[in-house]
Amino acid sequence: MTVADAVILFAALYASIGVGFAMLFVARGVGRVDPVARSAGVGFRLVILPGAAVLWPVLLRLWWRSSRRAPA
Amino acid sequence: MSVGYRAVQWSRPKRLYDACAAGAMLAYLALFVGAGKLLWTGQRSISDEVLLIRATGSGALAMLHVLLVIGPLARLTPRALPLLFNRRHLGVMTFALAALHGTLVVGYYHGFGAVNPIRSLLVNNTRFDSLRAFPFELLGFAALLVMFVMAATSHDFWLKNLGAAAWKRLHMLVYPAYALLVGHVALGAVQSPRAWPAAAALAAGAACVTGFHLAAGWRSRGQDRAAPVADGWLDAGPAAEIPLDRARLVCAPGGGERIAVFRHAGGISAVTNVCAHQGGPLGEGRVIDGCITCPWHGWQYRPEDGCAPPPFKEKIPTHQVRIVAGRVRIDPRPLPPGTATPPARETSGA
Ligand code: HEM
Ligand code: FES
Repeated sequence: MTVADAVILFAALYASIGVGFAMLFVARGVGRVDPVARSAGVGFRLVILPGAAVLWPVLLRLWWRSSRRAPA
Repeated sequence: MSVGYRAVQWSRPKRLYDACAAGAMLAYLALFVGAGKLLWTGQRSISDEVLLIRATGSGALAMLHVLLVIGPLARLTPRALPLLFNRRHLGVMTFALAALHGTLVVGYYHGFGAVNPIRSLLVNNTRFDSLRAFPFELLGFAALLVMFVMAATSHDFWLKNLGAAAWKRLHMLVYPAYALLVGHVALGAVQSPRAWPAAAALAAGAACVTGFHLAAGWRSRGQDRAAPVADGWLDAGPAAEIPLDRARLVCAPGGGERIAVFRHAGGISAVTNVCAHQGGPLGEGRVIDGCITCPWHGWQYRPEDGCAPPPFKEKIPTHQVRIVAGRVRIDPRPLPPGTATPPARETSGA
């Protein structure tokens, strides 16, 4: 495997996890992390999606923290 | 000043701004394509795809220059403030045009083959040791990735949930991205004959961006008074020198945030210079309708207690003020955000 292949494999993995996570996050996670987003519409959720796919490690942490703070 | 989130926060001025920006962008592309058809003929003629690649690439880079100059320009003259308040929409448009350029290149130069076009972009040219054959496309690709992250995190949701400081650091990546693009265009120009107009335009643009940043930095240094310390408080100069409904900026010794000292309705009040929204420079704003108004997006705070007028709930730290022998004295220790402290009266202290 060349360096380029390794880079592409890593990017593809990171992005696939990201897209999967982002769909879950915009559906359920946003409202937990930020209560203001609870009542937001589909348009807002779609606008957030690409960023959630890139920054998923950050959001995962925020989501995990908020679920520990207020279980429900 | 947050109600629920919407996909795009459009208001009438923002729609107008976006329409003007989109119109200018389309006009540029049309002009570029038209001029290209007229100029590049005969032996020098190029395909429509390459013409579009050049039009979108140079258009995106031109928009990036505007974006980079707006900030320092607004510090130099308040007349540029209307450009500033909606800069984020302009940023997203710039990314969209740059993405079109990148997509056209990847499709046109790397798409016809069994190889994954992204892989082809990565492995096609690996002559990193050569200036004359450097894989300049990779520099553009890296810059495009950075621009994508910035565009994807431009919604207020990100500002709030990443925190203003982290968000700002993330969006400061525009400078490294700009450097990558200077490399992209300069090294690309080395490889193609007759690319000197693009290189010359880039040099002029880069000089502009640097010049405006230096000028704005120099100007704001001039505004700070050294504020020598007297009994732990700072001296902020003669009260009479502060213009009505405007501020003078004071530096706390040992760093820390700057303090904006406002004169309003016969009293002197001091608040932090940092807006609670995105850290805009409150001291460059004015008092409008009795409230300090941030020059960036217009958030407002009362000078006497640092609170936004109801129904809004934002608060900023205030500072105690006295007037001694006609000179303003400021306590450099900030009071908790939203703490009321009486404005110093110009007639009383002296
Ligand atoms: C995937 C990312 C990118 C790739 C693969 C790429 C590739 C290229 C290529 C192959 C050219 C030479 C075109 C020609 O004259 O035949 C070019 C030119 C150019 N690119 Fe990019 N680019 C990318 C991203 C960007 C970005 C993000 C910007 C700016 C925001 C940009 C700005 C320019 C400019 C200004 C030119 C010179 C156009 C001219 O000669 O008039 N590129 N790019
Ligand atoms: S920074 Fe946005 S209003 Fe002050």
